Amino acid sequence: MATRIFLVLIMAILVLMIATFSLSLVEKEEIALIENQEGKSLNIVDDLYDIEGNQIPLESLLEGKVLLNVWASWCITCLVEHPFLKSITQSKDVKLIGINYKDQSFNAEKYLLENGDPYIFSIYDLSGEFSLKLGVTGAPETFLLIDGVIVSHRIGEVNMEIWNEKFAQYF
Amino acid sequence: MKNLRNIFKIIIIFILPICAESLYENLDSEELKRLNYLSDNIRCPKCSYGNISSSNAPISKDLKEEIAQLINDGYSDDEIFNLMEERYGEYVILKTDIDDNKTLFLVPLMVLIISILLVTTYTIKKTK
Repeated sequence: MATRIFLVLIMAILVLMIATFSLSLVEKEEIALIENQEGKSLNIVDDLYDIEGNQIPLESLLEGKVLLNVWASWCITCLVEHPFLKSITQSKDVKLIGINYKDQSFNAEKYLLENGDPYIFSIYDLSGEFSLKLGVTGAPETFLLIDGVIVSHRIGEVNMEIWNEKFAQYF
Repeated sequence: MKNLRNIFKIIIIFILPICAESLYENLDSEELKRLNYLSDNIRCPKCSYGNISSSNAPISKDLKEEIAQLINDGYSDDEIFNLMEERYGEYVILKTDIDDNKTLFLVPLMVLIISILLVTTYTIKKTK
């Protein structure tokens, strides 16, 4: 009798294991992603400079709607989203400010000359420290700030689809 | 023999800059151990898996430097974990807290105990 109960128990556990395993194959759960920075506010500790070396007034970042785009001349996806950023600044009233991430200033200037410059100015972040504190994981990334608070954050390329999903509602 | 020694010296001189890059000058050996422990247990936010000590992404290097700086400033391990969790989310902490998911840790233990009990009772009954 005990043997039978034991066997039934083992069979039940086996069936349960196979069932959960096969269910996990069917259910395609989205992989847990890194938390974005939405809802956090921007706090700037150090002075910021643009690519030419001019100091940036902090009010320009903290007031109104600001779209912050992290880019670099070495970043290929940035080049892919560049035409979209240009079109969005032309068609809508968007204050687009760049963060030049871990880049040499002459490379950055060359990149903007070759591909056009949709940015009002770009924060020059050679060490990546400003971006690190902001929560940037790499280029490209886009933040929407309203009065210094991050309301929308995209890790990766921005295109029309992403724009409509994450940013269009604010413009 | 002398030639060999000279060659060895030249090799060491060329290797020096490589070693210099991985040094954290401000940290003593105890703090370096903490840095290694922390960077083994914090996930690289850019990669799909892997801790920051095993990753070559620029952000991992930055984070390691930031952690070294924080250790230097006198932050404790827990405070650094909290800081990283606050910035990147719980996802980034590889060291799991047992209190967060008790069932996950207790079920295998229970299964083990139950199976030991079953097997022992079964074998005892059989020998009788």
